[in-house]
Amino acid sequence: MSAPASGLTGWNERPRTAGSAITVRGLRKSFGGDSAAGPKTAVDGIDLDIAAGSLAGLVGPNGAGKTTSLSMMTGLLRPDGGQILLGGLDVWTDPVAAKAMIGVVPAEARLFDRLSGAEVLEYSGRLHGLPAAEARSRATQLLDVLDLTADAKRLVADYSTGMRKKAALGCALIHNPSVLFLDEPLEGVDPISADVIRRLLTRFADSGSTVLFSSHVMELVEQVCDHVTIIDRGKIVATGTTDEVRAGKTLQQAFIDLVGPRATDEEVLSWLGSSSS
Amino acid sequence: MARLLVQLKLRLLVNALKSSAAVQASFIISCFFAIVLAVGGFLVLSLFRGSATSVDVTTVIFTFFAFGWLILPIFAFGLDSTLDPTTLQLYPLRTRPLAVGLLAASCTGAWPIANVIALLGVTVGLASGSVGVLIAIVAVLLQVLFCLVLARFVTTAMARLLRSRRGRDLGVFLIVPIFALYEFFAQVVPRLLASGSLHASSFNGFDAWMRWLPPGLAAHAIRDASTGHAGTALLRLVILAAVIVALGALWIRSLNRAMVTADTTTGSSRVRGGALPFARPGALAAVAARFWIYQRRDPTSLVYWLLTAVIMAVVSASAILGKQHHPAVLLASAVFGAAFVGYFHANAVGQTGPAFIYEAAALTGRRELRSYFWGQDIALGVIAVPLLFAVSLGLAAAVGRVEYGLFVAAVALAGLGAGLGICNILTATAAFPMVKRAGNPMRQPAPGYQAYGIGGVLANLATVAVTAIPMIVAVVLLGQHPAVAWYPVLLCCGIGYGFGLLYLGVRLAAIAATQKLPELCQVALASQL
Repeated sequence: MSAPASGLTGWNERPRTAGSAITVRGLRKSFGGDSAAGPKTAVDGIDLDIAAGSLAGLVGPNGAGKTTSLSMMTGLLRPDGGQILLGGLDVWTDPVAAKAMIGVVPAEARLFDRLSGAEVLEYSGRLHGLPAAEARSRATQLLDVLDLTADAKRLVADYSTGMRKKAALGCALIHNPSVLFLDEPLEGVDPISADVIRRLLTRFADSGSTVLFSSHVMELVEQVCDHVTIIDRGKIVATGTTDEVRAGKTLQQAFIDLVGPRATDEEVLSWLGSSSS
Repeated sequence: MARLLVQLKLRLLVNALKSSAAVQASFIISCFFAIVLAVGGFLVLSLFRGSATSVDVTTVIFTFFAFGWLILPIFAFGLDSTLDPTTLQLYPLRTRPLAVGLLAASCTGAWPIANVIALLGVTVGLASGSVGVLIAIVAVLLQVLFCLVLARFVTTAMARLLRSRRGRDLGVFLIVPIFALYEFFAQVVPRLLASGSLHASSFNGFDAWMRWLPPGLAAHAIRDASTGHAGTALLRLVILAAVIVALGALWIRSLNRAMVTADTTTGSSRVRGGALPFARPGALAAVAARFWIYQRRDPTSLVYWLLTAVIMAVVSASAILGKQHHPAVLLASAVFGAAFVGYFHANAVGQTGPAFIYEAAALTGRRELRSYFWGQDIALGVIAVPLLFAVSLGLAAAVGRVEYGLFVAAVALAGLGAGLGICNILTATAAFPMVKRAGNPMRQPAPGYQAYGIGGVLANLATVAVTAIPMIVAVVLLGQHPAVAWYPVLLCCGIGYGFGLLYLGVRLAAIAATQKLPELCQVALASQL
């Protein structure tokens, strides 16, 4: 196991509930109902159970429905049907209580770009009800762990993509959520920062909290996740422990076998390449 | 290339229309206003037939249209995506055919056609004889072409400026003088004309040099052709064509640079302190702190405040510059100022963009959403109250009735409550995505949502005007020279009444936002800022 991320004190003290942290039943969503082409089904009745304390990965090809599913699970997108329970609380009938226990890192980490890194974390903490002093203290610790201390007083507008991603993770963690949702958390993040984030997530899950993240990086999912779900065309094609899903193969190979190659006959591209005219 | 880019523009339009009913409605509304402009403009220009000042007025109207093309793409309507040179950067395109293609694409659409139809009113109002009409048609086409090239040149040149955050921040401030100049032509000049403070002879000095500006060249060419001076008319049109070619050359040069100039990196900006203000517990203080910081650090917010002052001054212009100096006009400036404070800050979700997700994740209940709206209103009120108060007193002083400024301020503060209240309600019920495009430092409604922007202005103006009626009636009943004791009474009434309206607005907005929070999140995610 990776070494725990250091520098964080006074959080993860809340007792975690045993059992399923994320329960999804019959989740459905279509888009473009009023368009001429008719509605397009993005999520087609998925069921999912993620145990408390899991570090779970949600993988799938582009357009499979990962982001749509995560958006519905976090209350950011209204589903057409189905039920989502977080720690037994229904996200859509009891949103106040359910959302209080989650942290979210969207795919595009677009933060308040006229705040500094320290300010944006403090703002996130205070919005979640932390006293200002506590929010500042936690922001300082998180910025330290995320290697952003030197840039804490710079405007987020001047941050690189990776720095924004790390700041967004800090915003999602500052109120010590029970369940953390991340959409492509390592996209645009350099290898060193990626390792910091990996260790932070592992430590977070080890403490009994739950993490569900989407990713295209199979190596990452295989390395850190104890639970994997593969989604394709809005349906779950495999879910279970990482070992169960990969069934003796690499996760990359298992994924390709389950989803199937997308490419058609490459011979039609005979004109492509320097040897062609 | 021209055909390809025109086809691309039409395809983008058709695809947008297929995407949703809202876009279709917005397109229909946009076409409706374009038809109004075409018919109305044609009729107005036709009415000057036989008037001694027809050529002067036509010159002013042509200049007004040119200013419109200069600032509206920046301030309100934006460029369509076929005209953003950065989207074509990666293609191996030669600049000259690209420029022709971009120009052809910009000619395609309801508004350019509406402009041509509107200005063709000069064939009735100014031109006479077959040569006059022929020259008028050519002059109108050249005038519209001038407007298009001017708009493209300015936006492309600004695209270069706006490649860094600091450049964008500076670029935003260009809006203020351009807007002030536009408002002078659009609002002040017609009112001064109507009040008699400005008449045809007032243009004598202007006309001497305006006739040699491109819009003046077009207008005077028609007059010359109609009075038998076809040679002079042709000379003016040749000069106008030369100006268009020169402007086009500058545009191509600017476009050429824009296509190959790498994005400039931005130097880092450090903030002092590093902690948020208002360190009180609860979401209200946090949201107020965030909005307060944005009022200081976001140049668009600063520009909004300057524009509010400009709007109030422009509305009061007829009282200040007119012969009668009637202070009651200042009450209208109070209504407009309060309404535009509300309009500029409405649609907070769309203006915040994807970052709103972090707020939505925490502000889930009605109580929290009330805190959100109160937080925004407190931060805005800290600036708006003294601003409206000071501008009201300043304008009253300019009219020579400083004490009347307290009455104006009372109406302004009552209106501010209504303006912010409707601003909150519109944020919750009529949120729409905003975009920032190359060449434009301002946030604009995303394609298909322009009608939301126009609707926001009308809703704010109507709400503030209607809710301010009791205050205005009170001021009128007190007459021109009320007892001094009434000033503080009316001011307190205005503040109390405004606060009541704001309280109502916040509560209604929170109820609506609680029901629509996921939809608001999708609007925020659709914003590209």
